[in-house]
Amino acid sequence: MSAPADIVYLDYAATTPVDARVVDTMSQLFAVEGDFGNPSSGHLAGRRSGARVEQATAQLAKLLGCRESELVWTSGATESDNLAIAGAARYRADRGRHLITMPTEHKAVTDMFSVLEREGFEVTWLQPDEFGLVAMDDLEAAIREDTQLVSIMHVNNETGVIQDIEAIGSICRRHDVLFHVDAAQSVGKLPLDLASMPIDLLSTTAHKLYGPKGVGALYIADRPGCHVQPLIHGGGQQRALRPGTLAVPLIAGFGHAAEIAGARMQDDLAHLRALRDRLWDGIRDVEGILRNGSEDAGFPGILNVSVEDVEGESLLLSLEPLCVATGSACNSKDREPSSILRALGRSDELAQSAVRFSVGRPTTTADVDLAADLYRSAVQSLRELAPRRTA
Amino acid sequence: MTDDPYSDRVRELFADLAHAGDLVDAPRVRADDQGLRIELSATCDDGVLETLRFRAWGCPHVLAAAESFCRDYEGRPCPDLLDFRAADLMQTLPVPTEKLGRILVLEDAVRSLGQSVRHDPTGETE
Repeated sequence: MSAPADIVYLDYAATTPVDARVVDTMSQLFAVEGDFGNPSSGHLAGRRSGARVEQATAQLAKLLGCRESELVWTSGATESDNLAIAGAARYRADRGRHLITMPTEHKAVTDMFSVLEREGFEVTWLQPDEFGLVAMDDLEAAIREDTQLVSIMHVNNETGVIQDIEAIGSICRRHDVLFHVDAAQSVGKLPLDLASMPIDLLSTTAHKLYGPKGVGALYIADRPGCHVQPLIHGGGQQRALRPGTLAVPLIAGFGHAAEIAGARMQDDLAHLRALRDRLWDGIRDVEGILRNGSEDAGFPGILNVSVEDVEGESLLLSLEPLCVATGSACNSKDREPSSILRALGRSDELAQSAVRFSVGRPTTTADVDLAADLYRSAVQSLRELAPRRTA
Repeated sequence: MTDDPYSDRVRELFADLAHAGDLVDAPRVRADDQGLRIELSATCDDGVLETLRFRAWGCPHVLAAAESFCRDYEGRPCPDLLDFRAADLMQTLPVPTEKLGRILVLEDAVRSLGQSVRHDPTGETE
């Protein structure tokens, strides 16, 4: 598995290529000679497709350490986040209408909370510390009698900072508040054992772990009070929580990708850590460089840096053929400074100069060495042609 | 493929900013607005723009526009600076409309340079 020769892809936090073995699995499920049936059909073709879905469910459940009955297939992490947050808030609305999250969450989370605010829910937006982490005292203080849901992501998609979801979940459990985790960046990359973790709802997606785009899953813990109202209706599939004909090839691909990720997680982590550290070592002495996020609590696959006195858009173009992000890929076209980095206290200019490098399985040391060289060269060149600041 | 935010012309100019860097020791102006900074300098010989240079902190469209201006105006009569129009660059590069404000900062700088050249004896224009 290698990227096309004309690009150096370092944007694995945005998406990953599909593992060739996963492609092979999926390719058996489209055409007439494969298991193309509707898994809701009772005939043999349908039952064969249904078996592929069951296999995938078992594969993902094993990776997450949960029961198969606790998983619902969706179209991706955005839908999973929406279903978890809106579904849980509305389901428990008669108990209370106070919710808690952070401004550093993915748009799929923050936008859903904004929708709920317009519906009359009250949302507390917890501010992160300078590294992007939530303070447990702040969380504990924010929880009220009428609080029903806390949503805090596991690995931040821009900075890679890892929240202590066990500690957060424990606080939520003490107060009988549901805890949702957006784990799009961590599933298949960091160990999770949901059977033993105080997590009620967890969103994930296939395309961040070398599976296909267009499929995700939501974990809903089988415990009293933990339930969601569906967002869409019609058909009754998946206990009517998320009806619609199941996308069998995508689901089977997700399952296989999950199995592969689980088998090689420690090797992947060591690989990512070595590459990320090598890249950071290659650029850390650039004058005015700042690392966004936490060195101690950072996901090994992500390195996010800002630099003083360099215009971000020109920096990005100067880095071609590197494929990197200036923040969330969902935001990268509008060129507005990242709201996540602004929440961490970065100025507009520093936030706008941010570059997120994210390495993956196919990344080589040559890739990160080239990235470091290009970055150093681009920063120097742009500074050389910039006017001096006036006092 | 999703539309490239940069035209081939913008990419070509950005990749070869031959007129960027050290300003010449001659009339020079500075503009600092819209989140960008531009400095321009010019030397004239017998009423003709001989050397144009710029320094800039800005997006690729601004840098490309500054380079395009320098390439286009060297060899032209000095008074032409006073007639520089951002709208022309917006169309020829092209530059997205949301960046019009930035290109107008360049226009202001160029016209200000034209005034400086007219009034500076070293500009040799009048």
